[in-house]
Amino acid sequence: MVLLSAQRWVRRRLTDRFWRVQEVLKYARHFRGRKNRCYKLAVRSVRRAFVKSTKARREKKRFLRALWITRIEAACLEHGLKYPAFISNLLKSQVELNRKMIADLAIYEPKTFKSLAALAQRRRQEGFLAALGDGKEPEGIFSRIVHHY
Amino acid sequence: VAKTSLTSPPWPEVKLPDPVEEAKYHAELVQKVNKMIATGQYGRLFAVVHFASKQWKITSEDLIMMDNVLEAECGDRIRLEKVLLVGADDFTLIGRPLLGKDLVRVEATVIEKTESWPKINMRFWKRHNYQKKKIIVNPQTVLRINTIEIFPCLS
Repeated sequence: MVLLSAQRWVRRRLTDRFWRVQEVLKYARHFRGRKNRCYKLAVRSVRRAFVKSTKARREKKRFLRALWITRIEAACLEHGLKYPAFISNLLKSQVELNRKMIADLAIYEPKTFKSLAALAQRRRQEGFLAALGDGKEPEGIFSRIVHHY
Repeated sequence: VAKTSLTSPPWPEVKLPDPVEEAKYHAELVQKVNKMIATGQYGRLFAVVHFASKQWKITSEDLIMMDNVLEAECGDRIRLEKVLLVGADDFTLIGRPLLGKDLVRVEATVIEKTESWPKINMRFWKRHNYQKKKIIVNPQTVLRINTIEIFPCLS
């Protein structure tokens, strides 16, 4: 026989609550305290963890670049150059290695790094000589003290 | 004339070596390196290659993983062309900015094309009832660098 409305014991009930809870708890298993067991505390911790990891992915790039710069600075100070002089002179000599590569070369290929430092030093000296010019004073200008009487 | 503190500039005076002698020395060095390459007196070569908008320091038999798709099937041989630096134990060839294609040859094979692990991107503002969760899966390609060869055509 056809019934027009459903029986009272036929309801829509949530059957996979266990798996929905496990989906969140699986990311919290290595946390400390009750937040690795209790769902209510775990939800908040897991949400914060995800948000922190998204923000950290953007900051990792900044952090790694600062690390490379520190390493390059340490390595080029061993060869008697400072970091700004090294990088600017390398770029002026049209060598386009990025900081990650130069840091790796400084760690694993010391001879190559020494040759890069020598290249930068030579380009620096050539730059100074080009800027100083001939050493003559420009015409029409005198630099002795003028007495007004 | 007596020397005062202002007779000479405060920076150390630098003299560059004689250009003629320097040119001779450079030519000699180039000949020596050419002969070394021609006779094969180098051990393992390493190269710095610009590929997939990143710079990689590679040797033969090593694996590289890129975070994007390469339009080549698995097993295809690829030649990496933008080489910035090649070095061995005794000499390095620095490109300005790139080395010539007739000087270096870097060969690689595509080994596998997979997807990265599912990274979770979540944004949340407290007390504003705002949260978004997105799962990002990037396609990745793994290359194996087969050989790096150099040819003695320096000048």
